[in-house]
Amino acid sequence: MDRNQLIKWLKEPAKMGHKYSLHAVYFCTGCGIIEVPPSITARWDAERFGVTPAASPRQANLFLITGYVSLKTLKAIIRTYEQMPEPKYTVGFGSCPINGGMYWDSYNTIKHLDRYIPVDGWIAGCMPRPEAIFVAVTHLWTLIDKDMADGYRRYRRNYAAYRANQEMVLGELGWPPLFGGEGE
Amino acid sequence: MRELELYFGPQHLGMVGNFSITLKVEGDRVLEAAANPGYLHRGFEKLMEQRSWIKNFPMVCRMNVIEPDSMEMIYAMGVESLAGLQVPERAQFVRSIYLELARVGSHLFGLWAYANMLGFDTVAQWAMYHRDLVLDLFEELTGGRVYHIYIWPGGVRRDFPEGFEKRLVETLHSIGGCVPDYNGTFFENRLFRDRARNIGTVTREEALGMGGTGQVLRATGVPYDVRKIEPYAAYDRVPWEVPTREDGDACSRILVVRDEMIESVHMIFKLLDEMPGGDVYNRIPNPFKWRIPAGETYVRCESSRGELGLYLVSDGGERPYRAHFRTPSFPHGLTVLEDALRGESISDVGNIMISLYVVAPEIDR
Amino acid sequence: MDRRLQGLEEAFDGLDIEPSRDGGKRLLVDRGSVLSLLSALVDRGFDHLHMVSCVDWPEQKELELVYILSAYNLGGSFEEEHRDVVMVGCRVPRNRPVAVSAIRLFECAEPYEREIHELFGVRFEGHPRLTPLFLDRHYETPPFRKDFDTRQYVEDFFGRVPPVGDGDGERT
Repeated sequence: MDRNQLIKWLKEPAKMGHKYSLHAVYFCTGCGIIEVPPSITARWDAERFGVTPAASPRQANLFLITGYVSLKTLKAIIRTYEQMPEPKYTVGFGSCPINGGMYWDSYNTIKHLDRYIPVDGWIAGCMPRPEAIFVAVTHLWTLIDKDMADGYRRYRRNYAAYRANQEMVLGELGWPPLFGGEGE
Repeated sequence: MRELELYFGPQHLGMVGNFSITLKVEGDRVLEAAANPGYLHRGFEKLMEQRSWIKNFPMVCRMNVIEPDSMEMIYAMGVESLAGLQVPERAQFVRSIYLELARVGSHLFGLWAYANMLGFDTVAQWAMYHRDLVLDLFEELTGGRVYHIYIWPGGVRRDFPEGFEKRLVETLHSIGGCVPDYNGTFFENRLFRDRARNIGTVTREEALGMGGTGQVLRATGVPYDVRKIEPYAAYDRVPWEVPTREDGDACSRILVVRDEMIESVHMIFKLLDEMPGGDVYNRIPNPFKWRIPAGETYVRCESSRGELGLYLVSDGGERPYRAHFRTPSFPHGLTVLEDALRGESISDVGNIMISLYVVAPEIDR
Repeated sequence: MDRRLQGLEEAFDGLDIEPSRDGGKRLLVDRGSVLSLLSALVDRGFDHLHMVSCVDWPEQKELELVYILSAYNLGGSFEEEHRDVVMVGCRVPRNRPVAVSAIRLFECAEPYEREIHELFGVRFEGHPRLTPLFLDRHYETPPFRKDFDTRQYVEDFFGRVPPVGDGDGERT
């Protein structure tokens, strides 16, 4: 371990814990999932970076949105995201969540993921290579260090706006709002 | 006993792919299963109607992420059939080798999923590592790890690079050298046999009635393989066998997958030996202004999951008028799966689903 | 002509058999007799339904259902003539698209008919569950019809969703 980090560990142990044990939700949202099994197995070994898949969203703090998001999946993504405990980080994987990618004119995929749930970082490309996941993870570390991976706080702060956008495309959501009033 | 409705997926450990099944259970027996696809529906065939013939190549391969290559192949076959294009002999061999390599990669991915689900983590790690070696070959050949867009109407994009054949043979030998390890740890392991035998049995009559192809049908003893029935590319130039099993259960299907993998590797070696020289593509008209004569066609090929078909209609314009893919997972993942799950235990749902080799984006398209 | 198709033209009024360009056969039949034609084809060995497809022809104000069949040909050798793929077409009017379900003959037709019902709006009589297959929401025009403009739809539907809130500005 880097000796310079010792002071950080003593000052903010929880943050360092979150940073180095990113548990990713096991949810194949799109075709980007194809590069996740190579990343978590022997050859690329994501566990070097503390990234490991978690069985349930309740035990996870990293959500990789792997690829295009259809309307039906968006509903599942929102439910999964809301189930995750805070602090939680979202990374959009591939071009499609950023702006629709090659499905820019598809009637069933959403175009900008960050209008429905907060996103902390993006990995561009189709398909991004496993190295790109690791670069993203190290960037995410920096963001966490600087308190800039604040998606979950933005979600609280702007929950009403997010919820309004979600209901605009999905119609009535089948569950009560996660947070009570406007902001907390 | 009380009946319960259980939602299996899309966010579920036993589920590979974004797919969901609604189970009606009593105790831990499944009374009724209803597949619920559509999580990956992008309306591909509609989008294809708005893109020119050549621009659709990057579209079609995204329909099956695990084996995009047979998707390219079927679309190229459709376009060639409509436009009346010929493919040079060498390109046919290159295509066959490329498709068989893709089949090996796809089966290794399937083996990863299956072994992982049964808890054989070591085997899963091996399979994924070996698939990565195959992907390295693809990367060298085409420049992409996952999506290659290598097959082109009238041939393939480029010839094998210098020394590629040698590296191909070396890689396949090193993967093939591990087959005894796979056998000892997994395929001949009692744990696998006990877990997979008599699970999710699909009889021959059921498979035929429900439009089963690929492993689902070959595991019941029917040697039905489009590569034999309607040979395309260079499959009729070399001798090879269609592996079959008799029992029709999950165990047979996975063993058929293994045998096919071995057969594919042998086929690649034979094809390399027979490979002629020459060009790898015929020139096509300017792709940006390419109009294809009006007509319709149905072409089919054998993907790693079964019979893949494409119904393609042209109205003489610059874009397809209608394209409709017959993907093998469509009957397997909807009709066959619902039937095979009836009466099974909840703990075997993932087992059956993965052994049927269902890949969700192929269903939804 | 394939000997398995002999006699069909006499048995069905208005049946039109012609070779398709890819070497198979193309049959065009009217809506009322499509099921009996399919059943006759099953008896003649075409027991494998590849798929049911649908093509929209707005100029003729028709939707064409296309059934693609071939033979599993169990136990037989794969001779040249057995490689045939038979396409059966059947046209239904666009404004009142109703067809008869083929589930009685082919179990695997069920999801295809559900798909066509959802994407083209064709209603299949005798289908046990014409519930939505892929789409969660309702579209005024079935999305695969030619008059459904996806680009316009995307602009109208997704274009109105505004970006959310503070974005990068408020980040510390």
